[in-house]
Amino acid sequence: MRYSPTLLDHFLNPRNAGLMREPDGTGVDEYEGCGDLARFFLRVRDGRVSEVRFQTYGCGPTIAAASAASERVVGRPVEELLNLKAQEVEDAVEGLPEDRKHAADVVAGALRAAALDALRRREGVA
Amino acid sequence: MTRRVYLDHNASTPVHPDVVAEMLPYFGERFGNPSSVHGFGREARAGVDLARERIARFLKVPLDEVVFTSGGTESDNMALKGLAFARGKGHLITSKIEHHAVLRAAQWLETQGFTVTYVGVDEHGMVDPDEVKRAIRPDTIGISIMHANSEAGTIQPVAAIGALARERGIPFHVDAVQTFGKLDFDVNACGIDLLSFSAHKIYGPKGVAGFWIRKGVKLQAVQHGGEHERRRRAGTENVPAIVGFGKAVEIRARDMKAEHERLTALRDRLWESIRARVPDVRLNGHPTERLPGTANLSYRGVESESIVLGLDLKGIGVSAGSACTAGSVEPSYVLVAMGLPLDWAMGAVRHSLGRSTTAEDIDYVIESVEPIVRKLRAAMPVGA
Repeated sequence: MRYSPTLLDHFLNPRNAGLMREPDGTGVDEYEGCGDLARFFLRVRDGRVSEVRFQTYGCGPTIAAASAASERVVGRPVEELLNLKAQEVEDAVEGLPEDRKHAADVVAGALRAAALDALRRREGVA
Repeated sequence: MTRRVYLDHNASTPVHPDVVAEMLPYFGERFGNPSSVHGFGREARAGVDLARERIARFLKVPLDEVVFTSGGTESDNMALKGLAFARGKGHLITSKIEHHAVLRAAQWLETQGFTVTYVGVDEHGMVDPDEVKRAIRPDTIGISIMHANSEAGTIQPVAAIGALARERGIPFHVDAVQTFGKLDFDVNACGIDLLSFSAHKIYGPKGVAGFWIRKGVKLQAVQHGGEHERRRRAGTENVPAIVGFGKAVEIRARDMKAEHERLTALRDRLWESIRARVPDVRLNGHPTERLPGTANLSYRGVESESIVLGLDLKGIGVSAGSACTAGSVEPSYVLVAMGLPLDWAMGAVRHSLGRSTTAEDIDYVIESVEPIVRKLRAAMPVGA
């Protein structure tokens, strides 16, 4: 099978898909030349991610990667997400074929952007 | 076990059991080389001769005008390069929606000093014979227009184009890989001079195809070697495959008409039912002038590979109209040539029905599509 059972499960039953009202941070990343896109919304409580939602446009692995990553980030300090690596996202779906690695890149990029946005907003308020 | 439904018959078809049965002896007891003079060779030759006879009868053409090749790609290359190099220089006309076997051969000929005009298509994927007429120049040495496109399934007005070509004495090649054995047509009435047609699209084996050359059409052989196929195509014949091809054609001659009607009804049922259940969906290709088993549907804003994957997990085999490989997205050049906007072209899925497709299969696909598209759209950014 080209994709792992975990990836297929997230693709068929995406967790945390959808919009969020008044998020504390949002971030988008797009994979150039491909059109794959991921957008993340974060709710932050006491410096940690309390809730996450995402939207994606792309092939199956992108949707699955976004879903799997969304589960991994809940409860973690926002600062930590600034350094989120594509490899961690890929690990969350138990690997990606060579020609679909960009799914992890775009998801990690959007989450880093959402974390940065949340931190900037917090500083703006303070 | 999950139900399995194969709706990718334009890509390939399973070999008919009667075809397999007819092929088998030619792997073993009748293994000879048809070029050999002895009895072993003569047995193999008889198999090749019978296949040629069946195909010639089906096409209503003389026996010695049918040549066996290794596939539709080879037949198309023989047509374009054969026409070009028999004349040395000149201009060719083809369309933007041809199979890559024609398009890339034409593009290569451009690097060899030939000139090519690529005519466009309308929103239904149809070539306008008037555009072909306007493209004809005094030095035009050949016209190549496919009979039906594999993606959209639109059937081209080959008879009108053939009449134009004949009026001006220009050889006319038709890539009929998607229509041979599916549609009833007459090469003479359509003014065709060269025809490419394949076995594995009509329940024959892969690795064998046909090429019909009207007597008198000057053609340079592309492959050099022995004296096979009246020096038109060197190489020992793929005897078992050729035998199977002949049998497949014989079966199509018998079943074609009934299957045409049955598949057209199933194809229309698929489209009408999906249209009734799923918002923002459209049919690509001509509404009526279309291959009986082909329904190419676009789901706006959804990425086609996701739908293909979703259906694959339900045991359904369809093909994506766009392909995302190594991070670069390729919407179908055929759908782009038809003027389909990108957000529609990216969500194109082709269903191609065949001999084994039942009404239950179609209903299963209809039921499966709606939740997949709904889920994908739920995870999709608005307006992306």
